[in-house]
Amino acid sequence: MITIHDEPILSLKNVTMRYSNNVVLNGINLDVHRGEIIGYIGPNGAGKSTTLKILLGLIEDYQGTVEVFGEDIAASDYSYKRKIGYVPENAELYDNLTACEYLTFIGELYGMDRHDAEEKAENLILQFQMEDVFHNRIASFSKGMRQKILIISSLLHNPDLIFLDEPLSGLDANSVMVIKDILEQLVAQGKTIFYSSHIMDVVEKISNRIVLLIDGEIAADGTFEALQEQNKQGSLEGIFNQLTGFDDYKQTAQQFVDIVTDGEGRE
Amino acid sequence: MNEFYSLKFLDFFRPLFRLFQIDYETMRKILQIKLTMDQRRIPTIFASNMSKNKEKGNQYLKSLLVYALYGLVIIPFVSLGDNYIFLVSIIFGIAMFILMTSMISDFSTVLLDVRDKTILNTKPVHTRTINAAKIVHVMIYMALLTGAFIGIPSAFILGVQGIAFFLLFIVAILLLLMFIMTLTALVYIFILQFFSGEKLKDIINYVQILLSVGIIIGYQIVVRSFEFVDLNFVYEFSWWHLFIPPIWFGAPFELLLNGNHSGPIILLSVLALIGPLLSIMLYYKLMPSFERNLQKLMENNGSNKKKRLLLNTIWEKLICTSKEEKQFFRFASIMLARERDFKLRVYPSLGIAFVFPFIFLFNFISTGSFSELQQSNMHLTMYFCNVMIGIVVFMLRFSGKYKGAWIFQTSPIQTQSLVYSATLKAVLAKLYVPLFLLLSIIYIGIFSVRIVPDLAVMLVTGILHTLISYRIMTHNKYPFSEPFETGQQGGESMKTFLLLIVVGFFFFGHFLAMKFTFGVLIYLVILLAITFFTWKWIFKKTVE
Repeated sequence: MITIHDEPILSLKNVTMRYSNNVVLNGINLDVHRGEIIGYIGPNGAGKSTTLKILLGLIEDYQGTVEVFGEDIAASDYSYKRKIGYVPENAELYDNLTACEYLTFIGELYGMDRHDAEEKAENLILQFQMEDVFHNRIASFSKGMRQKILIISSLLHNPDLIFLDEPLSGLDANSVMVIKDILEQLVAQGKTIFYSSHIMDVVEKISNRIVLLIDGEIAADGTFEALQEQNKQGSLEGIFNQLTGFDDYKQTAQQFVDIVTDGEGRE
Repeated sequence: MNEFYSLKFLDFFRPLFRLFQIDYETMRKILQIKLTMDQRRIPTIFASNMSKNKEKGNQYLKSLLVYALYGLVIIPFVSLGDNYIFLVSIIFGIAMFILMTSMISDFSTVLLDVRDKTILNTKPVHTRTINAAKIVHVMIYMALLTGAFIGIPSAFILGVQGIAFFLLFIVAILLLLMFIMTLTALVYIFILQFFSGEKLKDIINYVQILLSVGIIIGYQIVVRSFEFVDLNFVYEFSWWHLFIPPIWFGAPFELLLNGNHSGPIILLSVLALIGPLLSIMLYYKLMPSFERNLQKLMENNGSNKKKRLLLNTIWEKLICTSKEEKQFFRFASIMLARERDFKLRVYPSLGIAFVFPFIFLFNFISTGSFSELQQSNMHLTMYFCNVMIGIVVFMLRFSGKYKGAWIFQTSPIQTQSLVYSATLKAVLAKLYVPLFLLLSIIYIGIFSVRIVPDLAVMLVTGILHTLISYRIMTHNKYPFSEPFETGQQGGESMKTFLLLIVVGFFFFGHFLAMKFTFGVLIYLVILLAITFFTWKWIFKKTVE
């Protein structure tokens, strides 16, 4: 495992975020170093997406300090985003553009030359065997194809820091394997990946460090092996259940099924 | 991707944007993408007769032609003499209505696009540049639209009122444009501050409906208002004029061209200048909080209460027989009331159906007296209300949420024909009958209770018309199951047109029946019997 301990690529110091009276993030402290794949997990509403939004400059009224590439993002302008790639959670794209138009546009926004961007996009599309839809509108794409477009658009400009929010949703098993491998190779080349997901076995396999967020606070931080030892659970799913205090899933499932079947199976 | 003339024109202003520290190249790229996407969108003004549209070709340019037509209405006012404050106020009133409603209906999507936040704001581009792109984007369209709208009239203005008036007119229109754009944004800021995103979407939806109805009604009013215009009208200032923007813009003409230096005129002229500037400053100040509140559009926080209307339950018990029919009646009622795309296309016809009969009554009054009207058979003009039925029934098969229709295919529905019969009943109960009753009350007010049997006949023909429309135009099994874009071929709209003849047919029968004693009552009984058996026959037939 490569963990190079130099200047952190990403550093959150005492970051707190409130929506009216609702505390979403409560004093988050986190240093991320070059070459790490952080598996950022937590229950729904724990504040994962909010963290990503702060890091990408979508939310500005947080408290605390956020440094990316050693720069305080509140003080710096937009230029720190140049080396960042982002796959948003809810697959938002301008879908009445064609794949070619969209990818070229995004590349240009990252400061790439138009022709370079188009050529690179076409080559990447080719790798996913989607070349025959390169000039079709994204609106006609399946969920998996849209997701591939999002992934390409986040990597087109060769970023150093990549934020992925549920990047594998809608992809088939083969594509998932390809993407996982892509991520591993990117990290081996010194990229840093911030991976947010609900699918525990993928996070378990892919990440070299796992950060668990519960109610806006970091509840666990370490390698999978370290978490395993601390919590005496075999899988990340088990650790997740234990740390989020959710041990009655069997009971919940039982009650649910009882309601569905009107209690037929119990007698 | 195409090059746009508007962008080439914009290139002249490059230094200006640089001055404001806006990254012109990036802004231009964003604009190019936005304009490309707009070409693939269809403006509201065409929404109700989309059959004329093809995928290709600039939809927007076509809609500009429509605005150019609207502009013609201004021309008669131009030559109305030199009572400037009166004349210009009317022109600006019309312009403000047209520009503001189309701003809200077609460009809300630009101002409220939440995708921008995730796609653009995460990229290395300054927020200032993104916001500038947003504003310029709307400005390009508003400029084109205004150009189309006032193009022909301003040529007339130049000819009739001279060059000074013309130049002042152009300046005033530019100020009005600024005022409208920022005012719209300010209204959104206000709404988002206090209400949820869903509420805002509803409000926008109603404005779109209002636009379609307003234009048709507005035309009638404007054309008719000519008969009442008194050219010797002397302007007298009242304090409430300060709150009517079109009057502001009339004042400078009075001040500069007619040499009227009275206090109120000066005050109003100052407002014409200060109002737009002030609204821009306010907008600039509130922009950050607007961006923050836009977040609300992505959240769904409605009331979590179950709504159940007593009226619904009564209708349901009254007109639905089986349990299955009741359930589809409830479903269709909700769809009719809440599906925004459907409302946008259907509700304007309802508004027109309501207004149309009155237009004929007014026509009568303008030649005869009111007491003559009361004695006449003009109550038969209510047949014009039935004109909407064909269109509504035709639209029933479409929905913006057509994808949800898989539920019909996968669920074990016993009697498929019940789905449509329940939907038709919902249309009658929820849209037609309320409209008809409202009109009836007004008509009884005008013509007295003697027309009640006639109204009953009209109501029954309405129901029969619904059935005929359904039989002729509906071939699919389930309502709300097709997207609006497809299937709206020319042949179909021909059919809706032909169905108008059905109204004429019923009207003619009614007219004949009135010649005989008890004729109307006999006609009513016959129609009732026909309707009853037709309903049975149509929905029996589709079961097989």
